Amino acid sequence: MKRLQTDVVVIGGGSTGIGVLRDCAMRGYRTILLDRADLAQGTSGRFHGLLHSGGRYVVSDPESATECASENAILTRIQPEAVERTGGLFVVTDKDDPQFGDRFLAGAAVTGVPAEEITVAQALAREPRLNPAIQRAFAVQDGTVDGWQIAWTATASARQYGGQALTYHEVTQVHHDGSQVTGVTATDLKTGETVSIDCHFVLNCAGPWAGRITHMAGLPPVAVVPGRGIMVAMSHRLVNTVINRCIYPADGDIIVPIHTVCVIGTTDHKVTDPDHLEIPRQEVQQMLDAGEDLIPGFRQARAVHAWAGARPLIKDDRVAASDTRHMSRGMAVIDHSTRDGVHGMLTIGGGKLTTYRLMAEHIVDAMEEQLGTPHPCRTAEEICPGNEAGHNYLITHRLKQREADRMESPIICECELVNRSMLVQLLTEQPQASFDDLRRQLRIGMGPCQGGFCTSRVAGIAHEQQVIDEARATGLLKLFLEHRWIGLWPILNGDQVRQTALDNWIMEGTLDIAHLPSPDDVEPDPLAPMSPDPRTTDPTSTTSPSPDPTANPEVSSRSTTTTNRRARGTRAASKETK
Amino acid sequence: MTDTIIVGAGLSGLSAAIRLAQAGAKVTLFTFGLGGIQLGQGTIDVLGYSLAGSRPTPADTAITDPFAAMSQHLTGHPGHPYATVPLASIRDSVDWLAALVPDLLTPGDGVNHMVPTALGGLRPTYLIQPSMTWSNPSSIAVVSPRQIKDFYPRLAAANLTKTAHVDAHGYHIDLPARPGEVDSSPVAYATALDRSDFARRFVELVANAIADEEVIGLPAILGLHPDTAESIARALGRPVVEFLLPPPSVPGMRLNVALTQRAKDLGVRVVIGSKVTGFTSAGAKVTGVVVAQAGRDQTYPCDHVVYAPGGFESGALTMDSYGGVRETLFDLPVVGATAEDLITGDYWADQRLFACGVAVDSAMTPLDVLGQPIYTNLHAVGGLLAGAVRWTEKSGDGIAITSAVRAADAIVSPGVTPTTNERTR
Repeated sequence: MKRLQTDVVVIGGGSTGIGVLRDCAMRGYRTILLDRADLAQGTSGRFHGLLHSGGRYVVSDPESATECASENAILTRIQPEAVERTGGLFVVTDKDDPQFGDRFLAGAAVTGVPAEEITVAQALAREPRLNPAIQRAFAVQDGTVDGWQIAWTATASARQYGGQALTYHEVTQVHHDGSQVTGVTATDLKTGETVSIDCHFVLNCAGPWAGRITHMAGLPPVAVVPGRGIMVAMSHRLVNTVINRCIYPADGDIIVPIHTVCVIGTTDHKVTDPDHLEIPRQEVQQMLDAGEDLIPGFRQARAVHAWAGARPLIKDDRVAASDTRHMSRGMAVIDHSTRDGVHGMLTIGGGKLTTYRLMAEHIVDAMEEQLGTPHPCRTAEEICPGNEAGHNYLITHRLKQREADRMESPIICECELVNRSMLVQLLTEQPQASFDDLRRQLRIGMGPCQGGFCTSRVAGIAHEQQVIDEARATGLLKLFLEHRWIGLWPILNGDQVRQTALDNWIMEGTLDIAHLPSPDDVEPDPLAPMSPDPRTTDPTSTTSPSPDPTANPEVSSRSTTTTNRRARGTRAASKETK
Repeated sequence: MTDTIIVGAGLSGLSAAIRLAQAGAKVTLFTFGLGGIQLGQGTIDVLGYSLAGSRPTPADTAITDPFAAMSQHLTGHPGHPYATVPLASIRDSVDWLAALVPDLLTPGDGVNHMVPTALGGLRPTYLIQPSMTWSNPSSIAVVSPRQIKDFYPRLAAANLTKTAHVDAHGYHIDLPARPGEVDSSPVAYATALDRSDFARRFVELVANAIADEEVIGLPAILGLHPDTAESIARALGRPVVEFLLPPPSVPGMRLNVALTQRAKDLGVRVVIGSKVTGFTSAGAKVTGVVVAQAGRDQTYPCDHVVYAPGGFESGALTMDSYGGVRETLFDLPVVGATAEDLITGDYWADQRLFACGVAVDSAMTPLDVLGQPIYTNLHAVGGLLAGAVRWTEKSGDGIAITSAVRAADAIVSPGVTPTTNERTR
């Protein structure tokens, strides 16, 4: 057993937890973050990639809109490599109410979100695939953001201040003596070792899993109601600007061009188990229909992958209004000292990636208030490591790099332009990485072929580097293909069927991988990626609800509750019901 | 003289073309691409596994005698393409093909061979190229140029020690296919190794790299010319075995070149870059096919059509975003397309979608939902046929050849073709 001492333990390695780790470390606290999986493997890696301009909230949630606008500018500055400044458009389709555009502009003016109306012709000139029947268009400063890049560079920043992030460490116990938190016990899932950490404060940033942590601590239950949303990635950028439907926030109202793909999202359904998120066929159909409204011919484009994320909604009537007075809109903080009489623990729910830094600031402020040791927050000023050049991401970056080094290192993943030296460097740094861990950092297997060509190369190189033995190489290869399939089979149609047939010919036909020996439990697999629950999946249903929220009362009411979809807390929820 | 149009230049299209031309038919073959042979492994599969619907696992036993195993396999797989032909015709058809390219394919002896794969597995197949002979050696040196990214000799060797119980060692050599390249394709190596100067350097480096292993394993890059592998083995003084790589497949290209040449020698007109986009018909007969050509579509009249476009991998079968499965040229009914759960979330399960296809009678005439021929002079062959997930059972080549031979024979001698399955007699 390993024993560690620290000031603060952060549970959860999503954007919120990582932001908190960084902020605590910068304010001088010894801080350890624990996650049972990889960094940003849950909700923070399972969204559509939008860096909000605030435009989405100017009507429904003005306070969030203002926060998004300022945090957008801050992230673009402190983590520029994770951000692409694509710009965004809000468009009123022929099915939408053009009057909403007036409310949109008025809301933008009040909230300070930059927005300007442009002509339909200008919008079509900028994005030729847009539905030519749109009635109005507004330009905003939406961008795209890579949640994994945000996580790693913020973690790197935290490390410079002594913060530690222990991934694949599952928390098994939260200790307190009835009035004060004393520590946390975790299991290192990769080695099986028990790690015991003494601390004064626990920040529960487990998102959709936060209720499990409070349960583990023996505290009164915290009601976590995860909201599942699906996203569908198309094989290339049908648009180079974020396209929002200019309506009250609803399902399938956004297309985000990020890296080599564009992503349409999303839906919102309450679920009970965030470990098992299905990707129902009817929701995929709903996304394709919504895409068709914005980009005619969307259905004929090539869908390559789908995924589901869980919004971390906490509903808890016992939270006092005072608990959230420092808090960002859309965030709920449960102070277990006032609620349960146990000092040294806060549970955080809600949040959205764009405002992760601000949320962290508020949470750490709340912690310091309880501790009585205030320090200024400097996370908005300091640029995260690896971003010193100050360049924002461009889709052409990798192409330029490969043009420069193509005579030095072979390209291992043609879809995403990953070369051998990138892979070898990461394998050296992270010898225990699964191929999914590598994927989140390099994007291997995320392009049109979905790993059909690169996976066996990754296995060969990892083995050659003596990072893994042949059984683990084969096991990781199989596991990676199984995981890719989770997001592939629900959207399989058109050219992706053709690709899958070729991939199967290679993997099963030519290489016959199924008959290669490999261990059954090659890798701890806490939620990576989340598996669909076959018992609840209905692959036969292809009916989709009307995209018009006014046409269907059920959809309409859901749209209302979706107002603050990734960011609802007690205060937000109570406001909405007014 | 009969005028037949073949659509598709894969194994089934070329086989049908050659068989028809041998019988004196006038044959024109239209193909959009270069055919699918070079995407496969370059051997001839007949039947490698019979898993009866279970997920494949490393514990499965490969089939030794595919012809003996066939009857039982078909019992468990009703509607299988092999079930539409007399069982004896499978072996006859495959033997016929082997005899067409005697330099390239070893004659069939009734049992499957095991061939090594890039990952160090041993995979069953029926007809092999001589360079792929796996002789159950006691030791093997697995060697590859570092510049090939689809073959990692140390991983292949490590797996082989388990899968083949052989003392295997992996070695790298440094030899770009073209000066300065770090990323050379198997085809670039094959082309280079067909030149004696490059082959000499290759042999020298391989010989220096290895110890005293009994056999030398090399990636399947040993020349596009059928003799190159043998001359390299001779120069190395030890038996050489080629390991199957992901596509493009050099052994597949050898086979493709040889069969295409054979077809041309027999007078088949092979027209590449010609996508067949439509057809004309009169009653129950196809009267011609429409080919997309520069500037305009051109209709070519015909007496018979052998339709050999492949399956989902070529786009001849498609599934749209609503889940609708179609055959794209003749709009033939697709068997199994309306079943539930065509695709499931279990990666290792056979997806029923990939067994969807066209149903045919014993003359390979496509059938409608009532089991009646749709066009009496249209014959569907190869990957288009319903009833098998070919990559798991390793049967695609045998199905392609057998169905092509049946279709060709039915065109040449319509009366001779049995109309019922002899297996059930």
